[in-house]
Amino acid sequence: MNKVSTRLFALAILVILSVLAAITFGPADIDSSQLISCLVGSCQNQIADIVIWQVRIPRVLVALVAGMGLAIAGAILQNTTRNPLADPYLFGIVSGAGLGATIANISLADNLTIALPLAAFLGALFSVIIVVFIAKVLQRMEQLLLAGVAVSFMLASITQFILYFGEPFATNRVIFWLMGSLARVEMSNFYVIASILVIAIITVLALHRQIDALLLGDESAASLGVDVDKLRLLMLGICAALTATIVAYCGGIGFVGLMIPHIVRQLIGVTTLKLIIGSALIGAIFLIWVDVIARSSLPHAEIPIGIITSALGSIFFLFIMYRSRANT
Amino acid sequence: MKLISLLFTLLVLSSTSYAELNKELASDKSKPTIIALAPHIVEMLYDVGAGEQIIGTTSFADYPEQAKKIPRIGNYVRLQLERVIELQPDLIIAWKSGNPSDDLARLEQLGFNIIYSQPHSFEDIASEVRRFAKITGHTAQGEKVATKFEQALVKIKQQYQDKTEITGFYELWSRPLTTVAKGSWPQQFLNICKVKNPFKQVLTPYPQISIEQVLPASVELIIQPLSVNQKEREAFNWEDWSIIPAVANNQILQPNADAMHRMTLRSLTALKDLCAEIDQTRSFLQQKHS
Repeated sequence: MNKVSTRLFALAILVILSVLAAITFGPADIDSSQLISCLVGSCQNQIADIVIWQVRIPRVLVALVAGMGLAIAGAILQNTTRNPLADPYLFGIVSGAGLGATIANISLADNLTIALPLAAFLGALFSVIIVVFIAKVLQRMEQLLLAGVAVSFMLASITQFILYFGEPFATNRVIFWLMGSLARVEMSNFYVIASILVIAIITVLALHRQIDALLLGDESAASLGVDVDKLRLLMLGICAALTATIVAYCGGIGFVGLMIPHIVRQLIGVTTLKLIIGSALIGAIFLIWVDVIARSSLPHAEIPIGIITSALGSIFFLFIMYRSRANT
Repeated sequence: MKLISLLFTLLVLSSTSYAELNKELASDKSKPTIIALAPHIVEMLYDVGAGEQIIGTTSFADYPEQAKKIPRIGNYVRLQLERVIELQPDLIIAWKSGNPSDDLARLEQLGFNIIYSQPHSFEDIASEVRRFAKITGHTAQGEKVATKFEQALVKIKQQYQDKTEITGFYELWSRPLTTVAKGSWPQQFLNICKVKNPFKQVLTPYPQISIEQVLPASVELIIQPLSVNQKEREAFNWEDWSIIPAVANNQILQPNADAMHRMTLRSLTALKDLCAEIDQTRSFLQQKHS
């Protein structure tokens, strides 16, 4: 087994251990013997049973797939746009989801359980469609990111305008929703995210050689027979579906898509195959542990997960900038 | 006799831990155990005599003094679902607009019995007090405090209903300068104390405005509620605008924001005090004009 395979294998083991370890953390007082008996299905304590099976396990599993999904989406975008700063959130996905969540909060306040994720998903998808449309009109796919930033500001301003005239508490709800959290998730959310994730991974792995060709430049890729624009659009669509679904259930969890692929490039490699598998594994480990911090570091409350990922992400981002300065 | 029973209660309480007390209460279903998810709900429950049944609450539930000892299970951003499941309350009383709706939906899905509090007016406070009293097994006490509250409210309304209106500006926040309009909680205070709010008809309940909009309204009174917890609140600097009659006559009131803005029985005392202070301004203005 070569060095990369050994590392990937070790990471996969670490993912499994992280899932098991994360189940032991939480504010409810459950000792290890209770935990084990509940996991094997011979739970004596009904409360422990509900906490483990209906709260902790769905949470850890959603952290697993959401971490994988966000990291993969970032990795795909960075490789297909050849821009190390590409992140699904730069395409206005969070602003779009925020707009959707705002409209749901203002107009459908009684049915938020279904309306909120659905509206957030539609909002996120709407933002991506506008971004792609603008880039198409401009005839320059490489300007996707700039178009994304502009659309992001536009949607955020519409959100703020609606909130200003809406019910005052809706502002709180939307702002806190955008900070992200895995507290609300349930098992059905895991199934939805996991199925989109599987489709995304299979598609990307099937096309990994074409994506690698893109890394050489658009002309070189075209000369190798790759339909550059079509491939880029397909990849963008996959990233959008993946991120929009995750944002719809978990709110805004920023920077995972940006930072994880950079760590993977240092540890595993830059080509698409290695990058995608590595990002999935490290993304999962990262989000599982960030969520453990979110739910167990304060004695009487939770910290919204987006705050922790963004704080760590921004420090990491500055670190990359510093390193690239040192290299030149 | 009262003293003996009080000493006995204290003795029992000191020898029984909070958790054991909860278990005892849980066995008595006419007095359900409660998780109260907002400071005003906790306060109302203590008012009807159900304070001891509260087994969990959120941050900032600091009144009455005993409420500070209730275990915390989250804040207005997020609840700790695991802790709620662990405590197994018979009843959860939530604040519809102030609690995270997704957490509440999840708790409902897990089979918890949730009822909602959503007071918009003084009348709502009385009806919620009655409702909570009935559910928690304190109907008589609830009826007593609610009736007392309603009678006091009617009395205050009657006292001021025939007074002449004076134009007043309510400074909810200074930066950005924010006031209140119809549909907001403080607007009720202005209505009852006979203060004409020049911004009452604005579409949003808490509009941001500029000093330029305040100037032509020639307000005779400025109400600047201050919170006890905020040691140094940055209030708007009205001294620079002596063209405003209220500033020229030094008619700037600073009531207690905490008592006014929390939707409980205590808000009536705040109403009474505010109306009395406003009435002093009214007399001052009448003397000045006569």
